Amino acid sequence: MSKKLNRIIFIQSIIGLLIAIYVFQSFVRQSPIVCVNGGCELVRKSPYSYFFGFFPVPGVGLFGYAFMMVLSFLRTTSNNRKLLYGILGMAAFGVLFVTWFTYTEIFLIKGICTWCALSAVNMYLILILALKSYFLEKNKK
Amino acid sequence: MKITGETKLFAGIIIATLLIIGIGVVIYSRPAPTYTREELIPVGTVTKGNKDASTYLVEFSDFQCPSCKLFKDAVSELTDKYKDKLFYAFRHYPLQQHQEAQKAAAAVEAAGAQGKFWEMHNWLFDNQDKLTDKAIEEEAGKIGLDKKIFLEDLSSGKYNDKINKDITDGQKLGISATPTFFLNGQKLELFSVDELKKAVEKAIGK
Repeated sequence: MSKKLNRIIFIQSIIGLLIAIYVFQSFVRQSPIVCVNGGCELVRKSPYSYFFGFFPVPGVGLFGYAFMMVLSFLRTTSNNRKLLYGILGMAAFGVLFVTWFTYTEIFLIKGICTWCALSAVNMYLILILALKSYFLEKNKK
Repeated sequence: MKITGETKLFAGIIIATLLIIGIGVVIYSRPAPTYTREELIPVGTVTKGNKDASTYLVEFSDFQCPSCKLFKDAVSELTDKYKDKLFYAFRHYPLQQHQEAQKAAAAVEAAGAQGKFWEMHNWLFDNQDKLTDKAIEEEAGKIGLDKKIFLEDLSSGKYNDKINKDITDGQKLGISATPTFFLNGQKLELFSVDELKKAVEKAIGK
């Protein structure tokens, strides 16, 4: 079961990584984002979407998903629980982050970026699966 | 560290992902194509400004599209302000979801045949939410068109080929939304009217 959960986390991390790369490159190149609504452009052009005025928010997702992808890969080579804790910690941080950013989108930017919303859902799912893996591992004791 | 079948599978997926990212980088790094003036402004296209100007702007537009209406005044301002330095061409791209757009495109062409293209163009945009046959016919009278000829032109479908050519050309150029502008042969990615003004003024050298 834990193996299956790790596979799902791995695939979700890759999906999240691809989304993050796509949105990140649009931020860096200042090019339009394909979007089902007009929200992606509102978000891309908002100062709230850049840390310290220059670092694009999707860069955080890119790092987070890449980190979880590597850890879930490493879990196929080792039973070290620290790898799972790493995923769990990053997913928990990710959930806090996407929650904060979704709040920022709705109340400050007043626009929703479809990709960010998809990424937020993805991150919540990863956290749920990581927690499930954690309890499965814990019960193995 | 143990290398399992699972490890190999994951490694394969990571390599495939990196390949996809690499292909994406290559595709997105390619410079946007530049189209020639002849490709973008075929004979018969309605234009404004100095045809010998080095800066040329081509718009693909739809009379029922709210964004096109937003850009209309900016285009008028630019073509008036830089009439010697800018050559502007108007092309049709009536979207399928806009039921009156094709008819409006034909109406402006029919008005253009009687020398009143821009009068009808402005009225169509200003009244884009009430483009009924009756309203268009009334406006044709108000701007001084010969209504009989105007209505005959409309009912005969005389301008359908021209409009359809614009649509086909637009599709070949990769247009997915209206308005789409090409400045000196390059497609502009615009999100505000100001961006259009800035791009044109930059090209002109202002």
